[in-house]
Amino acid sequence: MDDSIFRLEKVSFSYPGHGLSLRDVSFSARRGERLAILGANGTGKSTLLHLMDGLYFAHGGSITAFGELLSPERLERPPFGPRFRREVGFLFQNSDAQLFCPSVEEELAFGPLQMDWTKQEVLRRISDTLDLLGIQSLRDRQPHNLSAGEKKKVALASLLVLSPSVLLLDEPTAGLDPRSQGNLLELLDELHGRGMTLVTATHDLELLPHLADRVLVFGEDHRIAADGPTAAVLDDAELLLRVNLIHAHRHWHGGVAHSHPHQHIVTHGHDHIAGEHEH
Amino acid sequence: MGPLPDWMVIGRSELPLPLQQRRGAWSLARKGLGEIIGKAAILLGPGVNDSHGWLTRLDARAKVLGILGLLLTTTWVRGILTLLFSLCAAWALALIGGVNVRRMALALLAVPLFTLALAAPAALNLVTEGTPLWILCHLGGGTWGPWHLPEYLAITDRGVFVAMRFTLRSLACVSFGALLAASGSPQDLLRGLRGLGVPAAFVMVAGMMARYLSLLLESAEQIHLAKLSRSIGGVGVRLEQGWAAAGIGELYRRSRRLAEEVTEAMVSRGYTGETRTMAAQRWCGRDILFVSACAALVTFLLGID
Amino acid sequence: MHIPDGYLGPQTCLAAFGIMAPVWAWASRKVRNTLRLRQVPLMALGAAFTFVVMMFNVPIPGGTTGHAVGAVLVSVLLGPWAAVVAVTVALAVQALIFGDGGITVFAANCLNMAVIMPFAGWWTFRLIAAGSPASSQRRWVAAALGGYVGLNAGALSAALMFGIQPALAHDAAGRALYCPFALDVALPAMVLEHLLVFGVVEALVTGLVVAYLSRSEPALLEGGMPAAAPRGRMPLWKKLALGLGILVLLAPLGLVLPAKLGASEAWGEWGGERVRELAGYIPAGMRKVEALWRAPMPDYAPMGSEEATLPVLSFWYVLSGLLGAAMVTGLLIAARRLITRREADGPAP
Repeated sequence: MDDSIFRLEKVSFSYPGHGLSLRDVSFSARRGERLAILGANGTGKSTLLHLMDGLYFAHGGSITAFGELLSPERLERPPFGPRFRREVGFLFQNSDAQLFCPSVEEELAFGPLQMDWTKQEVLRRISDTLDLLGIQSLRDRQPHNLSAGEKKKVALASLLVLSPSVLLLDEPTAGLDPRSQGNLLELLDELHGRGMTLVTATHDLELLPHLADRVLVFGEDHRIAADGPTAAVLDDAELLLRVNLIHAHRHWHGGVAHSHPHQHIVTHGHDHIAGEHEH
Repeated sequence: MGPLPDWMVIGRSELPLPLQQRRGAWSLARKGLGEIIGKAAILLGPGVNDSHGWLTRLDARAKVLGILGLLLTTTWVRGILTLLFSLCAAWALALIGGVNVRRMALALLAVPLFTLALAAPAALNLVTEGTPLWILCHLGGGTWGPWHLPEYLAITDRGVFVAMRFTLRSLACVSFGALLAASGSPQDLLRGLRGLGVPAAFVMVAGMMARYLSLLLESAEQIHLAKLSRSIGGVGVRLEQGWAAAGIGELYRRSRRLAEEVTEAMVSRGYTGETRTMAAQRWCGRDILFVSACAALVTFLLGID
Repeated sequence: MHIPDGYLGPQTCLAAFGIMAPVWAWASRKVRNTLRLRQVPLMALGAAFTFVVMMFNVPIPGGTTGHAVGAVLVSVLLGPWAAVVAVTVALAVQALIFGDGGITVFAANCLNMAVIMPFAGWWTFRLIAAGSPASSQRRWVAAALGGYVGLNAGALSAALMFGIQPALAHDAAGRALYCPFALDVALPAMVLEHLLVFGVVEALVTGLVVAYLSRSEPALLEGGMPAAAPRGRMPLWKKLALGLGILVLLAPLGLVLPAKLGASEAWGEWGGERVRELAGYIPAGMRKVEALWRAPMPDYAPMGSEEATLPVLSFWYVLSGLLGAAMVTGLLIAARRLITRREADGPAP
């Protein structure tokens, strides 16, 4: 039985005036999967999520979601249009673009109002979602006064209020303090446990095991360089070096200067993902 | 990466520093920044959320109706006493209603002073004819271009009356305008407008504008700071103007980019072009009481006029 | 150029509101049709941008700063109808939420800054820049000139609004109720300061910003002008209408010039009375024909207006011009329809 939600066949895309952003991308995402899209900056991760959410449309190839081809005409009309919008939630990297209503309550109400639900239903969902994320106190606040972590929570809440089955996340932990990061990861874990399909775009190798079971690695040539389980990808130092996800530069530790492949994480410590070294 | 060039030696500068520093441009830039931040503070600042007065807690429609009614009456009446009364009514409402009076007072600094400056010449016999009260100087008649000069320059009784009425009216109107602005948060007031029949699309655009205004002001501040941190003042007006224009241009680019992203965010959550908002709250006793009180005040003002 | 409350009387405010209501409706319709899904965020950010431009301190020679309105800039960047919406919203938020600007005079301010200014500026811009590539020098020069013309057009309108107040609204004793300065003061004062100072600031801001954008991201300049249309693309009927319109507006010159130069009517175009003056009698044939037809609008003004003042006569002159042009155009269109239908119904090939 085919339980793939998304199916991409040889998808290519380029921004007008710029070169190719994605080249011959083919893969499918199954229901309940935790998929990561891994790649250095500029390799087209964000673009891919936009394509999967029906905000951009492929120039070459095709994208099928829930068995239907994603095209502007199909997304404009019921029943597929509203259904798709409800089922798929996209968490933007820029929370300021995602929170465009004057207050948190109105922000959460936006999606349900588009779905033409009754006022009681809308209010009930808003209350429940605020409770779920523990942000009832933010209900009447204005978005520009919130901290980065609070903004992320409100943004996520505004998606969850529609009870989607798929979440597309664009660098969800970028710019968040450690506690907020932790909260977010726990929440995503919980949602996944309840059957949510997660597709996360990131370049953070440290977070990868917490976010995904399967990884699509994008190279700087805008193609898929690898597609496999997280552990296997993280072990392949040669691959990671080739696609510019880890580097080797001269640095100090243990009182000696040396160089070997590694990646820096937020706390400025070192985590040796792979490779040996000698003092 | 290659080796550092020999002139890039830290701590030792071979080339001389500029001796002259045109003071004007430096303080100009800082002043521009200050004003932007000032305006931002008013919009983003505590303001309404701080005040717990009963006026701010009324339904927005009641506030808008009542205060607008009083404002319209103030533009209609003609007696100086009536206008004085109206002015006092505005401030009385502010004080007993628990509104942020300091914020209101700030609004009085600009327009009324300007009106006074404008009204002063109106008191002269050059502008308003009438019985002279106080002769300032003699002009001796004659002509100057297409204009005829009178015998003397004086302040007339009608002139004083007109100037006073003009200034008082401006003061009273501005007070009511400031009262309305201070009586609710931006989205509260917009919701009130919506409830009174203003098209939903307009309210949505205005609401989103208010939401993003602070972001744009921060962007403007950042752009300004970036220029400031690299300027030593004294580059001349031409270049300063170029920088101001570049700042505005950069702001526009960011605005366009943001607008595209917001459109995507809206579409992603099901937006198909129709504006949908939640239905307004009901009127409660206090709101009706307030509107009735304002109506009574309006009648009173019209009566004593 | 923002007019505060209390400067304009109720008639002016209501008249402005009456004019603006259909303009707003039309503008929002235009914007909805062209921008579709992007309309709300783009207008919101356009309004916010306009607001910030209004606040920006522009350094001017002399060590001080000036302010620009930015309405023409917005119309060059987003199109004039979008500018109507953006400037309106900016003014509304300024008045309502900042308490910084007239609420009763809102429609009047919108008329000056959200309609007259962007359209006057945009038409000037299009006139000069039509057909030029996006990053050419002509574009930003055109934008600067557009800013100058637009601001002065708006200032003229505002000055007119001020100047008619004493005549329009005064109490029993003849004292002005609102703005106390009549046209002879308001007009020169406002127009001069905008021609000499504020207009230059506006031109500067508009031109420099367009120049900056044409260097950094020319694609952003497409909004105000659909992709460089080659010269002469304006449909013929539009050109004709424009020409006719200008001629109709200039028609009162036919009243003013002869009065100024002391000339009498054209030689030979005499009525019975004039002939009797010249020759001493009216020929019999002339007398018979004269009685045949009573013109509804003799001398281009309704009967009984012989003693009317020059402005009133000019008004009727212009109206007659419009009426005449409309009738001729109508007749020609009807004739064309008739002829082409005849041909269509003609013998089959």
